[in-house]
Amino acid sequence: MSEHSLGEFEELVLLLVAANNKEAYGVLILEKLEEKLGKKVNVSAVHVALKRMENKGFVESSYGGITNERGGRRKKYYSITSIGKKVLDQQYEVRTSIYQQIPKISFGQ
Amino acid sequence: MKAQPPKRALQFLRWFCREDYLEEFEGDLIELFEKHFETSPKKAKRKFFWGVMRSFRPGFMKAFYKVNYSITTAMFKNNLKVAWRNALRQPFFTFLNTSGLAIGMAGALIITLFLHDELSFDKMFADADRIYRVNIDNRTAGETNHFAAVSSPLANVMQSDFPQAEMITRLKMSNSILLKEVNAEQNVKEDYVAGADSTFFEMFGLKLLYGNAKNALEKPNSIVLTKTAALKHFDLDEALGQSMVLNNDEVYVVTGVMDDLPKNSFLRDHQVFISLSSFDDAKSLAWNIWSFPTFVKLRPTANKESLQAYLSTVKDRYLIPWAMTFMPGLTVESAKEMEKSSGDFMRFTPIALTDIHLHSPNIEDELSTNSDIQNVYILAAVGLFLIILACVNFMNLSTARSLKRAKEVGVRKTLGSSRSGLIKQFLTESTMVAFVALVLAIAIAALCLPYFNQLAGKAISIPFGNPLFWLALLAVSLVLGFGSGSYPAFLMSKFAPIKGMKGGNINGNGGRTVINSLVVVQFAISLFLMLGTFVVFQQLNFIQNKDLGYQKDQVLIIDDVDATGKQIEAFKNQVKTIAQVENASLSSYLPTPSPRGATTLFPDKSLGGENALIIGSWDIDYDYLSTLGLELVAGRDFNKEFATDSSAMILNESTTVLLGLSPEEAIGMRFTDDFHREDKENMRYFTVIGVVKNFHFETLRNSIDALSLTLGGKPKKMLVKLNAGDFQKSISELETVWEKFAPGQPLSYYFMDDSFNNTYDAEQRLGKIFVIFTSLSIFIACLGLFGLAAFNAERRAKEISIRKVLGASIGQITYKLSIDFLKLVGLATIVSLPLAGYFMNRWLQDFSYRIEIPWWVYVLTAFMAVVISILTVSFQSTKAAMSSPIKALKQE
Repeated sequence: MSEHSLGEFEELVLLLVAANNKEAYGVLILEKLEEKLGKKVNVSAVHVALKRMENKGFVESSYGGITNERGGRRKKYYSITSIGKKVLDQQYEVRTSIYQQIPKISFGQ
Repeated sequence: MKAQPPKRALQFLRWFCREDYLEEFEGDLIELFEKHFETSPKKAKRKFFWGVMRSFRPGFMKAFYKVNYSITTAMFKNNLKVAWRNALRQPFFTFLNTSGLAIGMAGALIITLFLHDELSFDKMFADADRIYRVNIDNRTAGETNHFAAVSSPLANVMQSDFPQAEMITRLKMSNSILLKEVNAEQNVKEDYVAGADSTFFEMFGLKLLYGNAKNALEKPNSIVLTKTAALKHFDLDEALGQSMVLNNDEVYVVTGVMDDLPKNSFLRDHQVFISLSSFDDAKSLAWNIWSFPTFVKLRPTANKESLQAYLSTVKDRYLIPWAMTFMPGLTVESAKEMEKSSGDFMRFTPIALTDIHLHSPNIEDELSTNSDIQNVYILAAVGLFLIILACVNFMNLSTARSLKRAKEVGVRKTLGSSRSGLIKQFLTESTMVAFVALVLAIAIAALCLPYFNQLAGKAISIPFGNPLFWLALLAVSLVLGFGSGSYPAFLMSKFAPIKGMKGGNINGNGGRTVINSLVVVQFAISLFLMLGTFVVFQQLNFIQNKDLGYQKDQVLIIDDVDATGKQIEAFKNQVKTIAQVENASLSSYLPTPSPRGATTLFPDKSLGGENALIIGSWDIDYDYLSTLGLELVAGRDFNKEFATDSSAMILNESTTVLLGLSPEEAIGMRFTDDFHREDKENMRYFTVIGVVKNFHFETLRNSIDALSLTLGGKPKKMLVKLNAGDFQKSISELETVWEKFAPGQPLSYYFMDDSFNNTYDAEQRLGKIFVIFTSLSIFIACLGLFGLAAFNAERRAKEISIRKVLGASIGQITYKLSIDFLKLVGLATIVSLPLAGYFMNRWLQDFSYRIEIPWWVYVLTAFMAVVISILTVSFQSTKAAMSSPIKALKQE
């Protein structure tokens, strides 16, 4: 079970990887995250999440070509694996099923 | 130009980051950096740096240990493993080996800390290397004495015409005082009190917690207290400016509070400093009162020689001209002539502040008791002995054990192990043991240190926080490990493999000889220490039981009896009425430690100066001689019937010897100490009425000095001679009487024989320290012998079995196994005892009254060594002799 666990931050990163499949790399994910969350995030936090998920097998990565950008360093693109997708689906299912159980609540304005 | 990310941060990232992550991380960080750089370069740099730091986490790091992976480290690891397994396979030997070394190291560690403390004395004072004290060396009638205190005018004279002195400070020894806050009832007694010039604090770089160091001791009737002393009366922050009453008499103002003085300084016990201007004699111009320890801080350009050169001129320029004012006919030349003909002298000599503690033993009027560099040497030698013993043990056991491992060596060599590889293996083993022993040694030392401190009267702690300490320890254990491992390592690695494989064990003659000679060295050292201990204790015993010429038993001494004021005689008479009190006497002077006074006396009609006597001078009363049981050899005691006895004097035998007279001839002689006065016809004379048999009033290191006894003075102590019986009862009666005469004053009393024994505290301590380390060394030597005997028995198990089968008795076999060792112990005895005797005789030379080392001490030492070694060896030998022969013969 533990190897299929997914933290909240990791889930966000995984979602972004899935959304930008094959195009996602560190800085891109960082910027999208910052945009969606509306707060500053450190790039190493993204790295930690990516590497963890890679170890768990939720994402896989491959190098891009050498460009003049980034001081000549290659980008590492991430894509979601089938396990990753399954975990994401499960997570989504669990949430929506619970969400749907919420009765109509009136907050009595 | 494109913006460059911070170089250092990048370097750091590259250093720690895993290679497979590096490019990605670097790229991301640089991309971000470039983006941020456009808006704010500063922010970009900060972010980059931060990003690197945040990536510095275990998951992203390289596996560092793999980087240096090589065959050397692999071999090292293997060596460690083999060493560990070997150690575990023979737990008994390992235990002997390690514990012997650990005990030796712990002992040596404690000794080193002790010596370090002794050598650190007075070095904490600012500019300690430029501060000197002026001593006086004086020789009168063949007797040389050294004094730590000099005459008061010397400081003024130096101030005016010795420009190389940056600063001069005088102290003054003071008796104990009674101190209380003005409105308080109870007095507090302070034992360690000194007068000090106003420059005192600046001189020694001492800071005041409260008050101004510059002028705290300027005005008369000012006192500065240490924290400890101040807390007895006030809260610390309230002490400043308070008025206090000294000796129920004068009022003093507290002008400063200082920290307690360091335990390793010459002022360690001092609690109260009184401004020197409060003392009348501080202004005295007399050169014959020596009571001011005088310190000089030289300018950086000056040295001890320049101070010495200056001091040697003082006598001619100031002292003799002063003496000429009352000694008609005296000139500088005649004084020199006199010195030359009599061999007497009086000179000022400088001593460095840092030399005071260890390099000025046997000095009078010292502020605190000094130690002696000789003791430092002795203990250093003992410490060295301990380490040598432990190493020898270690070497012996390792060698003996390694001989058994010949087969292993043979196999290793056959399989291609190089000689250096084998050496490395053995060295790794010994170094490993040395390190384990080191850890044990530190634990042992830490556990034992409190007891040692109590014994040695020190406050030593292990400097765990000092990196140098750890470095030294590491270095020492490395050296020990290598040093003691090297012999077995080289010996073993030398064997031809076939020899080792064939024989199973090698009777390497080289190995045996070295082991044997090491055992001899070990026992020689142990015997040396043993004899030393015996002699020290014999000498102490001798001192404590020597007939001192007075009776110290059942004599109670009461301090500060002057607190009774004018009623002092009435108090004495009241005390005499207590049933158990046999006699009582009032005086400040005791044959046991108490202040000493000296005076210059001229015999009648010889004011030319030739026969001036500088001798001890004690004020006593009518009951003094009878209370202490002093015997007269000629004349009579002071007697109330003779009104003239107020100007009578009793001398001791030493004085008559000095005068070159028999005791009977001395009776009736007249002396004066009043030679200063102008009107010579009114000079005061003392007539000798008696000569008392010599009694010891200095420690037995010194011979008995000349002494004169007169009536009068301001007695501070009372001697009470008690009859045998219930001391507690008479002491409580005494307390009642005291309460009546001196209400509110503390009564402090002690027995004279206790006070006497305290005089030999230093010797007692040395003796005890000696015993401890001697026993340690013998213990270590025995451990070694025990191990060797066990090894020997094991090695010769087959031989023993065959002998047994062929009919040898247990006794015969035990004898056979033990005799080899006993021969070695015998040889050690022959080597060691004469040497030890020689050195101990030299130690005894320091005592004026000493024992001859009796012959039986040698015999006893040798006997004990033999007995101890027989006990040690025979346990193993008998065990081997009694075991069943079949067991040893069966295995092959």
